[in-house]
Amino acid sequence: MSADLGAPAHPIRGLEVPERTSGSAPPEPTSSAGLAAPAAVAHASDRGARIVAVAIALAWHVAIGLPAVLAARAEFAVPAVVLGGWALVAVVGAVAGVRLLRGSPLPPWPLAGVLLAVDVAVFVAVGERQLFTAANWVWGTLGWFFVLALWGRRVVGLIALLTTHAVIALVAVLGHGPDPADVARYVMYVYGTFSLPVAVFVGSAVIVSLARERAAVSAAGHGLAAERDAAEHALRERRDRLALASSAAGRVLGELAAGQVDPGDPEVQRRCMLAAARLRRLIAESDDVPDPLLHELRAAADLAERNGLPIDLVTIGTPPPLPVEIRRRLADPLNGILADARGWARLTVVSGPNEVVVSLVTPDREGPEATGPPPGEHDDGQVEHLYERDGSIRWAQTQWRR
Amino acid sequence: MGADPVAAVTGDRPIGVAIVDDHPVVVEGVRAWLATEPRLTVLATGDDPDAVLRAAPNADVVLLDLRLHGRMALDKLAELSATGRRVVVYSEHTDPATMLAALDAGAVAFLAKHEGREHCVATVLAAASDRPYVPPALAGAMVGDPRPDRPTLSDKEREALLLWFQSMSKASVARRMQISEHTVKQYVDRARIKYTRAGRPAATKAALLARAIEDGLVRPEEIGIYRSQATHDRPTP
Repeated sequence: MSADLGAPAHPIRGLEVPERTSGSAPPEPTSSAGLAAPAAVAHASDRGARIVAVAIALAWHVAIGLPAVLAARAEFAVPAVVLGGWALVAVVGAVAGVRLLRGSPLPPWPLAGVLLAVDVAVFVAVGERQLFTAANWVWGTLGWFFVLALWGRRVVGLIALLTTHAVIALVAVLGHGPDPADVARYVMYVYGTFSLPVAVFVGSAVIVSLARERAAVSAAGHGLAAERDAAEHALRERRDRLALASSAAGRVLGELAAGQVDPGDPEVQRRCMLAAARLRRLIAESDDVPDPLLHELRAAADLAERNGLPIDLVTIGTPPPLPVEIRRRLADPLNGILADARGWARLTVVSGPNEVVVSLVTPDREGPEATGPPPGEHDDGQVEHLYERDGSIRWAQTQWRR
Repeated sequence: MGADPVAAVTGDRPIGVAIVDDHPVVVEGVRAWLATEPRLTVLATGDDPDAVLRAAPNADVVLLDLRLHGRMALDKLAELSATGRRVVVYSEHTDPATMLAALDAGAVAFLAKHEGREHCVATVLAAASDRPYVPPALAGAMVGDPRPDRPTLSDKEREALLLWFQSMSKASVARRMQISEHTVKQYVDRARIKYTRAGRPAATKAALLARAIEDGLVRPEEIGIYRSQATHDRPTP
């Protein structure tokens, strides 16, 4: 019954946010029920209608047909056939109802054949006196079983069965001697047996198709909402990155543009280099590469090299996958020292499955600390920083341990 | 940068060096480097190890370019090491796996071509007296050795290797670890000696080990598999 529940894919899966490596999961749909397949909604709605149809057929057969048949059993031409027909239709109808509710209906045309055979037999066996009484139970009840037999099919089949039913009745009526009053009653009976089953049959089909449409509309609405959520998420990420980039480069660029600082000033040049290094790393961060940490460090090394600093980048081992936050904390503290470096620099990365050590060594220069972290050690959670200068070299090291 | 790796030179005779490289310009460059050290003399050069050693059968140290005419000469290296030739591999291939493979094959030392004159001279001098010399690139390869059967290094040995690899300055490592430069060198050299048990046995490895024991750098039991015949296998210079 629920085999087709998962058929339409969740539209959200196609909308991965661009920041693959940030570790943030794609936004979850706000309501999973809202994304249920339209087919499933239609299915649930159809099930309600089936229950109604089965209940009507069996209730009519038992509550109205049975008492009348029992009351008039002595007056039938062949009582055994009328009673036997009733019992046969009760059994076949019950089986057909159960099978219909379980989603595996009995084959419709053999079932219809059995019903029509009972129809003929009862009309023959009921006798003239009981022809138009409630004891001739096939008049009113059989139409509902036709509905069960042809559930979910086109209404033409039902009309054909009901027409056959009417023809059988007409033959019976005429066979007992044509009487204008009987013909008039016959027309009323036919109208009654046609109208209600056809109305239920068509009505339920319309309800199911309406439910399917409503569900499709609702699913489309939820798909749109999910798309909007994903777009907002991507926008937020982009804003965050813009804020990072602005804090990296915005100020020094602004001051340069306003003429407040002198591009010839070594301090301004150093700030520019630092800003460029941060921007370069931010750009590298979003690249999809197998070794993001090495890629980001290589980006920093490239920039330093382009600024005329001979730099050695030596890597040993392959870093395990690290979240972007850890990578930032491993690489960022070294940028300041790289921006300050003169002469040469040696950048090394030693990686194992549970540890990554990044080190930057540059010659120590005269003068105070221009930038970079304060000398000494500190530890911000999983990443340990170490910085020292000993007169011959400046040595910064960041170390991550699992 | 580092301390003088060689305390005593073998006798008065200068140390004979053979250079095997298929690039004449590299041969000339290395020859020029070695010429700055009076204790070293280049006996023969060429691109074929066998020809070079025929020309200089008494060479104390062979400087071997690992890549000759487009192929890695690891088997040649193993063959020379097995006969007791002290081979210093020098190569532009500095990936850790290649360096460790060269050590396994019996190379006395591995020198990256970019590591420069000081390391080159120091490595050749140390090799001539069967003493280890670990240039920074090799230290990096050892500290990052991912192989499950790698030698077990102590924490201090690992730290000394890592810092030496990072800074290329034993003085800075000593300040950082708050120990003497001599002790830094000891930690690094001990780590290197532990690598003599990796790979196939070679006469050169036995000689390194024997000298390390003689120098008091390691005790036989620290290495795990010490074969006493090692001292007899030592090649005569």
